[in-house]
Amino acid sequence: MAIGALSVLIFGPRSEPSLPPGRRDYLVLHYWEKWVGKEEEAMQQIVDDFNNTIGAKKHIYVEMMSMSDIDQKTLVATAGGVPPDIAGLWDPMVVQFGSLNALEPLEDLAKAHGISKGYYQPVFWNGCHFNGHLYALVSTPAAVALFYNTRIFHENAAKLRAAGLDPDRAPQSIDELDRYSNVLTQFVTDSQGQRQVRRAGYMPMPPDYDWYITSIPLWFGAEEWDPVARRFNLTDPAVLRAFDWLQSFPRKLGKSAVSEFSTSQGGFNSPQNAFIAGTLTMEMQGPWMANFIHINRPSMDHDWAAAPFPTAVPGLRDVTYCPFDALMIPRGCRHVAEAFEFIAFVNQQDEMEKLCMLHCKNSPLTNVSWNFLHHHPNPYIGVFQELSASPNAHMTMQCPVAQVAGAELTAIVQGVLAMELDPKASLQRAQVRLQAKYEEFETNLQRRMRTQ
Amino acid sequence: MTITRGEIRNLLKGLAFLSPWLVGFAAFMCLPIVLSLYYSLCDYDLLQRPVFIGMDNYRALVNDAVFWRSLRVTLLYAAISVPMAMLVSIGVALLLNVKLRAQSIFRTLVFLPSLVPTVASAMLWKWMFNQRLGLINRVLSPLLGWLHKPAPPWLDQSNWVVPSLALMGVWSVGNTVIIYLAGLQDVPRELYEAAELDGAGPARRLWHVTIPMISPVIFFNLIMAIIGILQVFDTPFMMTKGGPNRASYFYTYYLYDNAFTNLQMGYASAMAWIQLLLVLALTGIAFWSSKRWVHYQGK
Repeated sequence: MAIGALSVLIFGPRSEPSLPPGRRDYLVLHYWEKWVGKEEEAMQQIVDDFNNTIGAKKHIYVEMMSMSDIDQKTLVATAGGVPPDIAGLWDPMVVQFGSLNALEPLEDLAKAHGISKGYYQPVFWNGCHFNGHLYALVSTPAAVALFYNTRIFHENAAKLRAAGLDPDRAPQSIDELDRYSNVLTQFVTDSQGQRQVRRAGYMPMPPDYDWYITSIPLWFGAEEWDPVARRFNLTDPAVLRAFDWLQSFPRKLGKSAVSEFSTSQGGFNSPQNAFIAGTLTMEMQGPWMANFIHINRPSMDHDWAAAPFPTAVPGLRDVTYCPFDALMIPRGCRHVAEAFEFIAFVNQQDEMEKLCMLHCKNSPLTNVSWNFLHHHPNPYIGVFQELSASPNAHMTMQCPVAQVAGAELTAIVQGVLAMELDPKASLQRAQVRLQAKYEEFETNLQRRMRTQ
Repeated sequence: MTITRGEIRNLLKGLAFLSPWLVGFAAFMCLPIVLSLYYSLCDYDLLQRPVFIGMDNYRALVNDAVFWRSLRVTLLYAAISVPMAMLVSIGVALLLNVKLRAQSIFRTLVFLPSLVPTVASAMLWKWMFNQRLGLINRVLSPLLGWLHKPAPPWLDQSNWVVPSLALMGVWSVGNTVIIYLAGLQDVPRELYEAAELDGAGPARRLWHVTIPMISPVIFFNLIMAIIGILQVFDTPFMMTKGGPNRASYFYTYYLYDNAFTNLQMGYASAMAWIQLLLVLALTGIAFWSSKRWVHYQGK
């Protein structure tokens, strides 16, 4: 009975992809993607474009499947020798999976398709590489900037002017950001007699709410990881200044103010999002915020603007952090060339711009069409394009233990904002721990290379 | 003694019917357990062949501050959660054992939360615990105002988060209550009558009759709680992501992160074996102590 059951499992019928009529003899590529909802629908449009054009010509059919925990599922499937042909992952996996030899190198295929360095903005092209190999191409990118509520700025114009600030522009330094924030922050006393923040000018929040807060040292002129020296930089005075600045908010506003304000928000894509609800005047976000404002509070469509997030270093301008979603071919894929056909198709300028407009994101490509800049759902997309093209645009830390580092930095930000951790001591401890983790990773890698 | 052909045929038939379970047990339980022991002695990232490194993973764990932190968090949770859940479930079972008109309705109400999927209850409680908007703080608001105390930051401060999660665990004691209830109904009536004749009041009857008579049930639930609580994962994973500042970063959560996020399957396997030893040790202590406080009928 058991043998029979196992035989059915091993040799029995397989689920067949639902190929449209007339395409039964096509090569089916399995494409796993993390997106759901509108973003999945947008990508499906690109997949359909491919299937109806190049796919039809070359007898390739891409079948997209949306799933949660895609990084872990891709990893397990790759380890089991049955990976998808194309995996829609995130940029940190370029280094993490690349360093474990879990991805197919794509440089030769890219060259054959005419995709080279000049085609991409440097921050994204570099982010797709690790150890001299091209392991991914971008599906959609991001660049973060300061979103600010122009209506609140104008309503408080007199107060801002009295403080020597211009209500018609965004703050241009961290010092100015603090001054704008001090003027715009309002308090209320609750029924327990406790002071609460009713409206914040700017408020750093834990990474669950403030997605890019662990990268804040970039705006203070420091990177947390030095890819050349292969060292963490957490004891750099600029990193410490950044974390001290974060802690200045709970110091100023009260210990529980930050946590209470953060947790009183609803979901990101909801009318309770603090920026959309008008209880947060300035925040750091990606270009898609325009979409969420439009969906959740269309009346706010003309009440906001975007500008480069200010820096703490005089003369340092146009700093941004550029994470991206990436298409990769896991090791063991049996149709590498065909899978790359699809990836190259997504990276055609017209398809890329279509996808990025549907996702309300900037384009990773050097050339951007007039239509993209003028018909994009985010009216400030030019700001994001300029930021990602800036020499001060930074990619995700290219470190094989970036996931561990991310968890460590998240814990530090939480502790610093809750006034439970001293920034200096916690960064020193993290420096020692993370450097040791990295060195352990390198030692293990060398040992594996020797033995295999 | 010889086995007849018919008996052999029956044996084979029995084994054939049992074989799906046997094969499943061997393939999906025994083999992974043995392999995890081997992997715990290896450097293994899931993608490349494991490399034997002896006890290095165990040595590294000793020096890993996050490992100790996650262990402390888990033991603290167990220390709060196990007694609290036991006291509440025994108390509720005693109340439900009282003869009332709508007894079955009350029993159903107590059991109902156990049927709610963990994801749904986690989302529900996350909102209930919300510092500013949550139902709990809204209800407590008049009292807090009178005391001039701030609203508790249930899930948002390190010293609050573990007790909050333990409190939430009490909500789903329905399964345990049912087991206690069955135990309570097994307590012979004549023991209560004898105690009453000796002049014992309700408190003494509870302490000298009920508790000793249901002590095997308490012991069973204690063992199950130790095993379950040392493996807690889903609730903090969904509600707090281990935060704030790793204050709810439970042992199994760190194990999972090492295995599937940090790709250190060997390290995670070593953690799993330490967890098993910990469960065995605590269960062993419970068994050892049971000689003093667990009373079986007829012994």
